[in-house]
Amino acid sequence: MFTKLYKFLSSLRFTIWLICLLGVIFAAGLWVPQKRLLKTIYLDWQQKSPDLVAFLDSFGLTTIYTSPITVTLWLLFFLNLSLVLWQRIPVIKSRIVLSESKIVDPESAGGYPFHSYYPLPDGLNEDKIFAALRKHGFTILGNGNMFYGVKNRLSPIAFALFHVSFFLILFGGIIGVYTEFRGYVELAQGETFQGELERYKDDPGPKLPEIGSLPDVSFTIKSIVPRVVRNTPTGISIMLVDSRGKSHEVGINVPYNTNHTSVMFKHLGVAPLFILKDSSGKEIGGAYMKLDVLKGGPDHFTLGGLLFATRFYPDYALVDGKPVTRSMEFNNQVFVISVERDGKKIAEGTVPKNGTMTFEGYRLEMQEMPFWVRFYVNKQRGLSIVYTGFALATIGVIWRLLFFRREIIGSIREKEGQLCLVVAGRSEYYKSLAEDEFVKLFSGIVRKTDER
Amino acid sequence: MAYWETIFYLVSMVIYALAGGGFIYSFVFKNPRVVSKVTLLVLFGFIAQTAAILARFNATGHLPWSGHYEYALMGGWFIIAGTLFVGWQNKQLQGLAVGTVPLVLIMLGYGYMQNPALTPMAASLKTIWLYIHVYFAWLSFGGYSLAMAAGVVFLLKQKSEAQEVPNPSYERFPSLGRLDELIFRYVVFGFITDTIMISAGAIWAKDLWGSYWAWDPVETWSLISWLIYGITIHLRVTFGWREKRLAWLAIAALSTVIICFFGVNLVVNTSLHMFQVR
Ligand code: HEM
Repeated sequence: MFTKLYKFLSSLRFTIWLICLLGVIFAAGLWVPQKRLLKTIYLDWQQKSPDLVAFLDSFGLTTIYTSPITVTLWLLFFLNLSLVLWQRIPVIKSRIVLSESKIVDPESAGGYPFHSYYPLPDGLNEDKIFAALRKHGFTILGNGNMFYGVKNRLSPIAFALFHVSFFLILFGGIIGVYTEFRGYVELAQGETFQGELERYKDDPGPKLPEIGSLPDVSFTIKSIVPRVVRNTPTGISIMLVDSRGKSHEVGINVPYNTNHTSVMFKHLGVAPLFILKDSSGKEIGGAYMKLDVLKGGPDHFTLGGLLFATRFYPDYALVDGKPVTRSMEFNNQVFVISVERDGKKIAEGTVPKNGTMTFEGYRLEMQEMPFWVRFYVNKQRGLSIVYTGFALATIGVIWRLLFFRREIIGSIREKEGQLCLVVAGRSEYYKSLAEDEFVKLFSGIVRKTDER
Repeated sequence: MAYWETIFYLVSMVIYALAGGGFIYSFVFKNPRVVSKVTLLVLFGFIAQTAAILARFNATGHLPWSGHYEYALMGGWFIIAGTLFVGWQNKQLQGLAVGTVPLVLIMLGYGYMQNPALTPMAASLKTIWLYIHVYFAWLSFGGYSLAMAAGVVFLLKQKSEAQEVPNPSYERFPSLGRLDELIFRYVVFGFITDTIMISAGAIWAKDLWGSYWAWDPVETWSLISWLIYGITIHLRVTFGWREKRLAWLAIAALSTVIICFFGVNLVVNTSLHMFQVR
């Protein structure tokens, strides 16, 4: 019973099953809205079909990538992988070992699908043949009487390298999951941030690490310069100065990395400094307002008990009496503002960059308009382990699948009254294609020397 | 689309359509001699397609690589380049175009109906990892497509050989044994480049989105597709699946890659990849 179970757990049939099942789980995760990834869709759907969702919830299918079923499959996957790798070690060892016992007669040896012989031209002797084979990457054992050659002898090790890389990715991934901090923070030009937990946004709130500390960051935003070409944001340059006075440029694809933490640009807004004054010119209130209006949507702020509903037009124009933006480029920046008191609209007007708007004895002044940015702050350990895993996987798969092993056995002997090179060969993975390769190799060696 | 781009794009489609017709003619009317002429036609189509890419490059200042249209344009280019390359190395393989040319024709037709508008390069795309990611994605798409084509040719040839009078068109192709191994070889090429594509994509995602793996639909689907090819390689190497089974596997598995490039948005519309990356 136990040996049967063990046999199954360490079988390659089980491997195929596991990979298939994992594939099915991943595919299911695409169709079943996932709680964490698609929160709003999930909540909508939960309202519409509460029973179905509750049912799927109970099996963890709405958090499928971390559900008990998936975790079990992963455990079995790595168990299976460990068992198979363990059992393979002696196989790999025996494959890569160089031993005299591999020198066998090319005419009678089994397991070599390619057999041929080539009459030797004058002057082509053992030494020259061996030199040519070595030039083609073969290691040769034996002598002209009988020899064995192998190319890419160590390639089977790469099989283990490739599969072991999965452990690294797993290991790094687990470390990452437990040490991860995620949070968003909104900062305007000139503001300083020292990683204070309470300054992270509430919605979505920060995710604290299960193990380890909060991100250790400290910087001031010196400048924010967005670039837009024909309606496509083509870049942004945010200059940060850290607590040691060193400058760092952050852009799209270019996070600021420090102490296992990345500070990533996510969103851009404008933070105009609005001052509200009364009819006598006395200041009622004023502040930098972080407005999220660059995508054309509305936003609002309050000053002096009034509510200002705003829309922003980066390249403002009036078409048929309606405000429009001609492009996303910052050519003619204008706010269209409607003012409300106690829910009632009392005025509407426009404020161009660094301009003013007057209404009912008030005067709204914009004095400057820097930008603000939303940063995504992510701290995670184990990244270098994961990347090492990627590198090993890549090296392993290239080494194993491109530099696979070829073995030849041969002998220089008389055949049909002529001195011949009698050979047999085999290759991993290929038979017919390897035959073509061997024909090319040996006829090449014989011909080349012939020409000399 | 730029003016010359449109012209060359349409020209290449017409030529590929003619070439596709030529291959079908060669097989249906058992006339193997036209294959090399039709291959020349494919070469002309390829030149026109290259010209379309250059015209677009000239108009936008960057190589095409985002959006369904650009996928079709550039991905199709890689598939045809692969087809021509193997046909140039080995004349017997010119007929693989019978599988790849119709595939590219469909892609180009589909792409044309999508979003060919010219856009400057979005900022998210300016990184070395993206080059690696995208171009290896296409290389792997090309490799897997060739595997599919070799699978199609294998099945056709096997069927023909089972008949009393085999169709002479198939004599030009490599033997069944070689075709079977070529399927594996192309799968292997696709798999290696796929591995690089996914690794580079993850590293890029870390810098752009903040995490190297977020179970984004396109990520998830490319993992599925990579696993399917992993299974294919396992079945071949450790279970000895070959010939007919392998051919069908190579043909069926390509569907996962096509879904990955063009279909994920049909299934779900929440991908960070968005394919019209902004
Ligand atoms: C539990 C998981 C796995 C086990 C036990 C396993 C085991 C094996 C074994 C025994 C071989 C044959 C080695 C040889 O004969 O030389 C092999 C080959 C291979 N496997 Fe896996 N494998 C697993 C998962 C995967 C996955 C997930 C992939 C990628 C999608 C993969 C890709 C490959 C490749 C590309 C080869 C061919 C390289 C070679 O011949 O060594 N394997 N695997």
